[in-house]
Amino acid sequence: MYDNKELVKIANRILDVLSILQKNRWLEILNSLANFSGQLKDTASQSKKLGISLTHNWFFAAKRCRTSIGRSLDDMQYSIQKAKQFINVKVPELPKLSVLIDELNGLQLEFGNIDFNREDNTLSVVTEPITLEDVYLGPFRIQLNISKLSEIYKDRAYYIIALDPNPAATDDSVTHPHVSSERLCEGDGTVSIRTSLEQGRICDFFNISKNILNTYSPDSPYVPLSEWDGSPCYDCGYICSSDNHYYCSFCDHDYCEECSSYCPKCDETVCLGCGGQCPHCEEFTCPNCMSHCAECGQLCCISCLEDDLCPNCIEEKENENEEQQDNITETETIAKSDQSKSGNTEIKLAS
Amino acid sequence: MRILYINNAGSGWADYIDVPQSQTVEELFREKMPGRKPDDFLIRVNRQPVAKDQILKENDRVTITPLKIEGAII
Repeated sequence: MYDNKELVKIANRILDVLSILQKNRWLEILNSLANFSGQLKDTASQSKKLGISLTHNWFFAAKRCRTSIGRSLDDMQYSIQKAKQFINVKVPELPKLSVLIDELNGLQLEFGNIDFNREDNTLSVVTEPITLEDVYLGPFRIQLNISKLSEIYKDRAYYIIALDPNPAATDDSVTHPHVSSERLCEGDGTVSIRTSLEQGRICDFFNISKNILNTYSPDSPYVPLSEWDGSPCYDCGYICSSDNHYYCSFCDHDYCEECSSYCPKCDETVCLGCGGQCPHCEEFTCPNCMSHCAECGQLCCISCLEDDLCPNCIEEKENENEEQQDNITETETIAKSDQSKSGNTEIKLAS
Repeated sequence: MRILYINNAGSGWADYIDVPQSQTVEELFREKMPGRKPDDFLIRVNRQPVAKDQILKENDRVTITPLKIEGAII
């Protein structure tokens, strides 16, 4: 527990950065307006070009101008929204030093212990070990970087660090369904976190962050808790996420990338056990696209079968046909020569 | 009687509001969060946990923070 003297020092540091943040808020308005006026200029210039293009019936150039104007209008909309976001909302008053000291006292009361790192200028609390839907995720340190408080419109000022990490099987950087690379996806807490930091409500900021960590939103996690430990490939047992699983409809099991392939004939995913290589074209083929040769019974892909015959049997048949043809031709030749010989004899006899 | 009311649900706003004399914390909660259960919120008065029948005083600071806030990929 920090005494009052120490808390005054921490509060002073926070107050200094919050006053910079107030100025940055004005600068954000200025930046958005500068962007807006630049985009407006671009639109006016494109509009002039559009007029010239239409005068000369240059419709291709007119089309390009239209695209460019459309882009500028979208950008302008964003800039207006951003500026309005800062202009319409009341500028939070800079908290008094005494209020910040009360905040820090409240924080100590709420979390039991806080940790201030003078060198890194960070203020941290540690949550109780968190378990969501029977998945142990361990305790987390919520670490607020006081120096970064002035940059909250551009970047995060805090990190969520797993102290006894049990990351998702498929991604080491995901230590909580809503934390990736030590960054919390704030979801419904986005605005309240920002507002609490802007107003110097440090205790609220830590409470909101803790409550997000204690909540599981199954609709939008980095990794769903149901797949936290991943699921094994049916063949090799490699743990992989559902995104990297390949379902084989022939055996009704999930496989990893290494243990599955696809049939180039029907594009069906098939595991290495169910599919097979065609002995003729050597392509990996699913059982649906394989068939037995009607002659020899060999299994080969349907592309290699012709009239239900495999290439070997087709060749054999062709050879047989050729042989038969040869035999017929030979017989015919012999017969013809015999005929001509007997004809000569008949002529001799007649003469 | 004026108090500072901070609601960390949704947009998370803080403002001074007028409340009737001798209003309790529970009455304020029911008025501000109709249909919601107090057990689903962290309710603090002047940063301290309080009993639900505590009577509010001038310049009290009341904070209501949901215990369940859904994070999401943005």
